[in-house]
Amino acid sequence: MMRERAGERRGGKGEGGGRTFRRRGMGRRKVCRFCADKAMLIDYKDARALGHFLSERGKIIPSRITGNCAGHQRELTTAIKRARTVALLPYTAAYP
Amino acid sequence: MADRRYETLVVIHPDQGEPGVKELAARIRKLIEEQGGTVSQIQEWGLRDLAYVVAKQRRAFYVLFEYRATSKALAEVERNLKLTDAVLRLVSVRQAENAPPAPPRTARRFEREEGELEGAEQENLGEEMP
Repeated sequence: MMRERAGERRGGKGEGGGRTFRRRGMGRRKVCRFCADKAMLIDYKDARALGHFLSERGKIIPSRITGNCAGHQRELTTAIKRARTVALLPYTAAYP
Repeated sequence: MADRRYETLVVIHPDQGEPGVKELAARIRKLIEEQGGTVSQIQEWGLRDLAYVVAKQRRAFYVLFEYRATSKALAEVERNLKLTDAVLRLVSVRQAENAPPAPPRTARRFEREEGELEGAEQENLGEEMP
C-alpha cells in the first residue's frame, strides 16, 4: 500500500499537450528508470542499486540529472538516508 | 491495537563474534515476542564492511528482523536495542502488508556486490551526465 506513489498514477497528460518546449542543446530525453522498469524497487537495504544515484563524493544526484520523476526521487532519497544511518552508504566520500 | 508489519536492521559490534551475534539475535527475537510480536524471519548478513567508521570499527555484523508487532511494541523494542551496547546502529521501517519477504542473501553475494559497487562508482558520472 505505502509503496504506490502518485507518479505511477499519472500518465494521461505529458507528451503532445498543446505547447511544446524547445529543449536546449542536444541529448536524449531522460526517463525515470523506476517508471520505465516497474520491477526495479527502491530498497534501502540494496546499497549497490542506491549507489548508482550517488556522486563520487557520496552526494545524492539530483533528479534534474538522473531524470527520475518526483515521486521516485523522493522514495530514493529516503532510502539513501536510511541506508546512511546504518552505514550501508557513506555520508561523504571516504577520507584517507 | 492493530499490529503492523515491520522490519528492523541492526548493526552489531564486530567484537561480539559469530556466536555472540547468534545469541544476541535470539535475545532480540525473545524481546520482540515478549512484546507480543511474531517474528517471521531473521536474516544474518554476516560481517560486512561499513561505509564509514562507527565506534572505531570498519566492519560490523548486520542482522535483519522481519516481524509483526504493535507500534507500542516496536517503540519498546527500539528502546531496548538502543540501550544495548553491542548494537551500533538500527533502523526500523514499516513494511507494506503485501510486500514480499526480504529475499535471502548470503555472504558470498555481498563480496560480489562490493566489487560491483566500486566499478559502478567510477562509471557513474559519465553515465548520468551527458
